[in-house]
Amino acid sequence: MSLQHRNVINLILLERFGKVIADVGDIIFQNPSSLYNIVKSADIRISKVKEALSVLIKYNLVTFKLNVDSSAAIYMLNLKNVLLMLRFPKFINLIKTKFDETYEVLVEEILLKGCVTASELIIKVAKRLQEQKTVNILLQELKDNFNSLVTAKYVTRLSTQVTKAEELYLLPNLDLKQILTVLNGENETLSDAGIYWTINSDRFHQDLRDQLIVNSVSNKFDDNMGELIRLLLQQMYVRTDPWVSSSNPIPILEVKDIVKKRNTHPQLATFFEQYVNILEQDATGIIRKVGEASGGSFQVEIKHIFTQLTWEAVEEIVNEKFDSKASRIFRLVKLRHYIEPEQIQNLVMIPAKEVKRILYMLLEENFLVVNELKRSATSLGPSKSFTLFHIRLSQVVRTMLELCYKTLYNIMTRRCHEKYLNKRLIDKKHRVDTITHGMRVQGISGDSVLDIEEMITPPENEILERIGKMMKKLSLTELEIDETLFLLEMYLKYE
Amino acid sequence: MQKEDAALGEDNVFNDDVIIELAKSKPNGISNIDIKNEIPDVLPEIWTKSINKLLKSGTLELFKDKGTLLYKYKDPSTKTEVKGSDNEEKVVYKIIEEAGNKGIWIRDIRFKSNLNMTQLNKVLKSLETKKYIKAVKSVAASKKKVYMLYNLEPDSSVTGGAWYQDQDFESEFVDVLNQQCYRFLEGKRDAAIKLGGGPLMCRNRSYVTATDVHKFISELGISKVQLSVDDIESILYTVVLDNKAERTVNPNGEYLYRAINPFLKSPGIVRTTCGICPIVERCGDAGLINPKSCKYLTEWLND
Repeated sequence: MSLQHRNVINLILLERFGKVIADVGDIIFQNPSSLYNIVKSADIRISKVKEALSVLIKYNLVTFKLNVDSSAAIYMLNLKNVLLMLRFPKFINLIKTKFDETYEVLVEEILLKGCVTASELIIKVAKRLQEQKTVNILLQELKDNFNSLVTAKYVTRLSTQVTKAEELYLLPNLDLKQILTVLNGENETLSDAGIYWTINSDRFHQDLRDQLIVNSVSNKFDDNMGELIRLLLQQMYVRTDPWVSSSNPIPILEVKDIVKKRNTHPQLATFFEQYVNILEQDATGIIRKVGEASGGSFQVEIKHIFTQLTWEAVEEIVNEKFDSKASRIFRLVKLRHYIEPEQIQNLVMIPAKEVKRILYMLLEENFLVVNELKRSATSLGPSKSFTLFHIRLSQVVRTMLELCYKTLYNIMTRRCHEKYLNKRLIDKKHRVDTITHGMRVQGISGDSVLDIEEMITPPENEILERIGKMMKKLSLTELEIDETLFLLEMYLKYE
Repeated sequence: MQKEDAALGEDNVFNDDVIIELAKSKPNGISNIDIKNEIPDVLPEIWTKSINKLLKSGTLELFKDKGTLLYKYKDPSTKTEVKGSDNEEKVVYKIIEEAGNKGIWIRDIRFKSNLNMTQLNKVLKSLETKKYIKAVKSVAASKKKVYMLYNLEPDSSVTGGAWYQDQDFESEFVDVLNQQCYRFLEGKRDAAIKLGGGPLMCRNRSYVTATDVHKFISELGISKVQLSVDDIESILYTVVLDNKAERTVNPNGEYLYRAINPFLKSPGIVRTTCGICPIVERCGDAGLINPKSCKYLTEWLND
């Protein structure tokens, strides 16, 4: 809840839904309010506000509850879900790599709609994929795929006050015949009308989290170790709730059996015990031995892993933002918890003056805090006080979050601005593209198409290409920043 | 004096040695009674004379403990021999001598000697020209001079050890060593991986001690000064602090070092200009610094 946060959220809403919704969102970001108050402060017609709110509710971006005196509904912006929209490309990609294209289209459609009934979803997707397969097979496949998405909890029933917990992942009753008739253009009430489905972001986050852990471990050790931790995490879910900070004990023999059966990593299978040993003995403390029973059982310390990863990310940020000397000092302060500047000078092998400069620079940018200990007043002589440097990680993480929001905001603003600057050119390109496309559909080709295409001059083409590159770079950066955001969010979640 | 010695003859010489031996055997000092007990057959007049002589030459030192006088033996190699000096010089010399190779600051000499500034300066200058003492600049404070005996090698706390040259910290030298140490660790790890065997073997083979690194660095010959194993140890610790190596202790209490990889590639936030921008705090929608016209962003986009 800060200015940066608000800016980013406003911009996301503006980009995706337009000005009215962004304005309404901004008002309820500041303080949750009733419809009357929103209309008052936004100076927008009530019908528009109502429309905006219903759109936001449909996308699960606004929640509402009754006022204290039960006279009116209070609308609140669901900040997390708004920021989540930046992560949608990752969700789609995740599904694509994990399953196949039909799943991807299913998820994409749900994300586009916010929430949707199962039949409508299948009809929509079937229309998109109609050309590739025969309708009957396609419908059956879509139904099965949808059901497996629900069983795997990627998709959940939209919960209202009356939804029971066990209903959340209850499979819908789908009538394929009905769907087929609707698909052929006839009107019919569908069997599952009124049951809406939406994305379960927690489940996606769980996958992204595991991916992050596996990738990090592979980076640090090797691919075999990555595979080991992947299997450990997989086995973890058998006994453990996905979001606890350290898992229940996992018997290592189970994992060994899987490795042997799969035989994808012969190196891991041969030296299985050694790999487990190394991972356990490593200073990072990813897994912990808890019992000797059945070849040893281990806990995966997920909270600890994320603390480690966050430390490393913050250190790396210090490294890039300042220099390697600063990160060296930062790590020393981290290792010693509380440390005096004199000690730092001796250990980091940097000239005293430089050390002081870096220390106070880090202090200024809120990476370090200072604790001053004063000698008690009774002691005589020159009153000496100790200056101890210290790091409060959660504070640093919050500062970094702010930085992420600010960066996101800047990148998005820049993107909008570049689009605005070259609006004329982009519009022209669009027009030319539609015309040529239309001509090709009509079967016209040859010189007349070329003539139209030549309306965009080579220098214009060059600029367009440059803008395209720029947009790509900016969007990519957005995703990368979101990765950092994800890591920091995970840390705060476990904290 | 010389003539008297000669007149007393061999007897006297004998006495001198006896007393020196006696004083040597008791480092806490000997009293008059000790001497009397030890050499009862020699007359007090004779041994007092010889004691006086030894005191004057500086072989013995006089102390007073609980009312009794004690003579202590002093090694003639370090004995005060300030020829042709006055009492002030002797006092100052003694104070400086006590400070050893850590040296002593001029202010402390003044407090201890109770001499005034001008007089002390004169004394110090005269001692310096006679090459009894020398002034050494301390690395702790560039303007602080400390005095010590001329023939002493300054302590590493004064000169800063191998990392200082003329009071300047040689950060480039340290950086080079840091890189070389890391290169060595890395080489060791790559070699271990190449050798194959189980992952445990690989890990254990890639561990090195500071002594190994010391040998490697000495053979490289990049250092003009002689580096000790401790020096290398502190360089290796900076490699650890750079998150490029880890440190563990082996059963002998020695530190073992090993090159490691980080968990993460650099986080996305620092791959943009804003994440590393020094003026990001001052950036806003209005004003000179804004994302729409930001030079850094433009440069980065046009890359």
